[in-house]
Amino acid sequence: MSAINVTYLSPDLETDTSWTKAEKVLFRFFFIYFFLQIVPLDWKFYRDLFAINWFDLHYRDIFYLSRYIPRLFADSPSFADWGVIALVALAGTLVWGFLDTKREEYTSWQYALRVLLRYRLAAGVIGYGFIKLFPLQSPYPSLSNLNTYYGDFTDWKLFSLSLGIVPSYESFLGGVEILAGLLLLNRKTTTVATLIILPFTGNVFMSNLAYSGGEYVYSFFLIAIALFLLSFDIKRLFTLLTLEKPTIPNRYHPVFEGKWKAIRIVLKSAFIFLFVFLYGFKSYAGYQVGSYQYPQKAGLSNASGLYNVRTFRINSKELPYSKTDPVRWQDVVFEKWATISVRLNQPVSLAPEKRTEELYEKDEERQYELAGTTGRTYYSYQLDTTQHLLYLKNRNKDKPNDTLILHYSRPDSTQIILSGLTQSKDTLYVVLDKIQKKYLLEEVQRQGRQKALKL
Amino acid sequence: MSKTETVHENVVLDTSSPAEVNSGLNTRLSNWKEYQKIAFRIAFIFFVSISIPNNAEWYDHVIHIDWTNLHYRDLYDIARFGSGINFFGNKIFGSQLNGYANWVITLLVSIGVGVIWTVVDRYRKPQPKEYNNLYYWLRAIVRYRAGIGIIGFGFTKLLPVQMPYPSVGLLNTNFGDLTAQKIYWLSIGIVPWYQVFAGVVEVLAGALLFFRGTTTFGAILLFGALGDIVFVNFAYDGGVHVYSSYFVLLSGFLLVQDIPRLYNLLILERLTIPVNYYPSFSQKWQKYTRAAIKVGVFYVFLILLFYLQYVNFKYDPYKQPSTKGVTALRGLYNVTEFKVNNQTIPYSPLDTVRWQQATFENWTTLTFRVNKPTALDLSNGGGDPQRDINRTFELTGVGGGQRAFHYYADTVDHVLYLQDKYKAIPDRRNRVAGVGGDGGTEKNLNGGIDKPLTEGASTEKASLDPNWINPEAWKHIGDEVKMIDPKAASTRRDREFATAKKSEKRNRMILHYETTDGNRVILKGIDQYKDSIYVVLEKVNRSYALPSSTLEAGKYK
Repeated sequence: MSAINVTYLSPDLETDTSWTKAEKVLFRFFFIYFFLQIVPLDWKFYRDLFAINWFDLHYRDIFYLSRYIPRLFADSPSFADWGVIALVALAGTLVWGFLDTKREEYTSWQYALRVLLRYRLAAGVIGYGFIKLFPLQSPYPSLSNLNTYYGDFTDWKLFSLSLGIVPSYESFLGGVEILAGLLLLNRKTTTVATLIILPFTGNVFMSNLAYSGGEYVYSFFLIAIALFLLSFDIKRLFTLLTLEKPTIPNRYHPVFEGKWKAIRIVLKSAFIFLFVFLYGFKSYAGYQVGSYQYPQKAGLSNASGLYNVRTFRINSKELPYSKTDPVRWQDVVFEKWATISVRLNQPVSLAPEKRTEELYEKDEERQYELAGTTGRTYYSYQLDTTQHLLYLKNRNKDKPNDTLILHYSRPDSTQIILSGLTQSKDTLYVVLDKIQKKYLLEEVQRQGRQKALKL
Repeated sequence: MSKTETVHENVVLDTSSPAEVNSGLNTRLSNWKEYQKIAFRIAFIFFVSISIPNNAEWYDHVIHIDWTNLHYRDLYDIARFGSGINFFGNKIFGSQLNGYANWVITLLVSIGVGVIWTVVDRYRKPQPKEYNNLYYWLRAIVRYRAGIGIIGFGFTKLLPVQMPYPSVGLLNTNFGDLTAQKIYWLSIGIVPWYQVFAGVVEVLAGALLFFRGTTTFGAILLFGALGDIVFVNFAYDGGVHVYSSYFVLLSGFLLVQDIPRLYNLLILERLTIPVNYYPSFSQKWQKYTRAAIKVGVFYVFLILLFYLQYVNFKYDPYKQPSTKGVTALRGLYNVTEFKVNNQTIPYSPLDTVRWQQATFENWTTLTFRVNKPTALDLSNGGGDPQRDINRTFELTGVGGGQRAFHYYADTVDHVLYLQDKYKAIPDRRNRVAGVGGDGGTEKNLNGGIDKPLTEGASTEKASLDPNWINPEAWKHIGDEVKMIDPKAASTRRDREFATAKKSEKRNRMILHYETTDGNRVILKGIDQYKDSIYVVLEKVNRSYALPSSTLEAGKYK
């Protein structure tokens, strides 16, 4: 009662290497299409490339290099770009087919295209991999963010914050991307790499759609490349696994000799040096300094924390605690860096949020703490430690004129008294008491969920 | 590339005749190497053990399913069981090994039995040369076990109820006052369509495992998806790391057969000939049995379960109470006046008695926040409590002084009978699933080793009488069992209500409510400390940065 499932080898299995007409046409199209998508023909790319200071390289520079994609219409990529490129490729296919009637196959061209795509995709996944492996992309939430109502964040910000609370998971995700990238550097492991990238980046793409992130075009671009690379072997996988028939492997192996051998080694080494070693080292060094998402300038020393607003006087008039008063501050957060945020019952316009990954250099450009959230008013400040002054400036671009000059005094380690003038020349006197706030998020991470907790 | 020389290598084909090739392959199938045989014997015991239910409760449950009046959870529970060898308990040297001790014990026993089996085989005549037939059936068992299990899980996402959209109370809770586990689940809850997608992936992976030809693809998908979920569970302390690892283990086993072939084809680039053994089902009864099992599994776990999940999603999303709340009261409120025993307490964020904000949810829950530490429910709010008071997702993993009370509403006399949703030792959930599931914690499985916390203790004295709701009021409130849409009624629901304890020790309040248009609500009555309170609530009409849900579960209109 048993049977063994073996299909005999068919005699014509290995001889014919010519391509069908359809295969040739499709190949011509994809060759032009992907060539236009991955080889920078855009002067702006070279402008940016030459603007990089190679003697003082920042991981940001390599990250942006890894993320190149033609942008014909706007700052961010769109599917309209793809449409135009597809039309050009279509025209090119027609011309090419007209000129090139004799060729029976494009095996070597196909090989070359796959090399380009493999390295392009590797750069793409490694580019995002390292800023996750060293959890820079989604940092741990700021104190202000911890003290903001859940509903006061946009979906995309919540996505990032949720990732930010688990650096180990973020590192794991980065590790998967880097592993897939490394597997792409070897021709034989390319298909394995695509089997990792397709579900992984497919998930990134779906997340981008679901959380209205801005990188769905780019992530789909990486998916498109991975699909094309997988198409090389998909028929084999199907034959082997589903049809359970004898399957012939790839048989094309180019031989590089002389000069070409040297060129190949130099290019490959250069790629690995730049995107793996240098980028890995630079992003690690950047991680030591801190996430690129938060400002770097240090704030008032030993002040970081959440404060209750015990006393609030405006023009010498004392306002009692209130959740409804639009003027009275409810609580205040001092960040480690030079940011103060205030909760008060005033509508805060949604802070703009760049929903693509950008690595900003200057503190004022680093908007992550207030991006995608309402509920708190954020001020950056200049600190004058000799005169004990804080020069506050509203970080929200809607309120460029909202500035305050406040004198601070610190009677003891838990109290800060602020007094001074607002933009509208009202006098302000505020007494802040530090709250020894315990965050459930952190308490439970310390002790686990299995034990009882009262908080 | 003009300078490169290209070579088309010849395929290294076996030049022998088809018949010879075939006999070579036959040898490969008919003579297993000794180590393969030993490994197989151990694997066989191990994988069979962890593929079948190991507790009597499961068999009891399956026997008592009322197939004429089903609840989705009846089928889900078939798929979600504890397994592995547990005669020796679930601990090694007193440690549960984070829940994996059962696997280790099972493996040790399997090795022991495998050794005995090897010895027995020595003396058998003729000695078995291979286990092709057993291997086929072992794979079949694992395929179906993994497929059914993941489909059970997948459907609660495909019809998004596993991770609900945050309640109003949760929307108004500080990010830092949630546990990591809660934050993760909410982050999926806010994007129900993404949850649907995740469900599709899981159900698809499961369905692919039902066919031989697509098993490897299903296994790759399952391995990748659940591998990620294992990591998620560790990182966010999600509590289902063992069960998600289970699928990684099963799918890993299913890949063992094909990985050498893929390696041969892709990495070594050699001609690869798959040789698989299949038992032939030539007799009629064999054909019919096979077809019947296949169709039966399909019908029950893909079609019927889908329908029951749909009903659950539509009328009774299991993590949220199913009874709709008093319509006029719903919303977020500021507490503008608060009196205890006729003494007014002004608002202060530091006050430890006064309510700071309150919500009436779409369903029968009142939440309010007090700046005083309270005992917390840190479970993940899973399981399938039928009674609304035990559906605690809006409360679990939430700090910041948030309280949640379930209420029965007497809408004739305008009285709310409220009971604290918090319970120091929650009822055991997922009874058939055993330890490591989303309902079993140390606390409720070991008979409650943790003592109730102080507030809970003082509660016992302060609580109102068990017969706190008078018969007249009960008439106005109605029968809770029937408060659900008739389409979602089930024997399971009836049974659970029938056996529910009538006099649980919980914090209780009786509050009379008064409102004209819902913008201003006055509550007065007796609170959980037997103090008389008077509370004025003013509605807050606020907008949220978070987009509202585009796919809403439950029927609260």
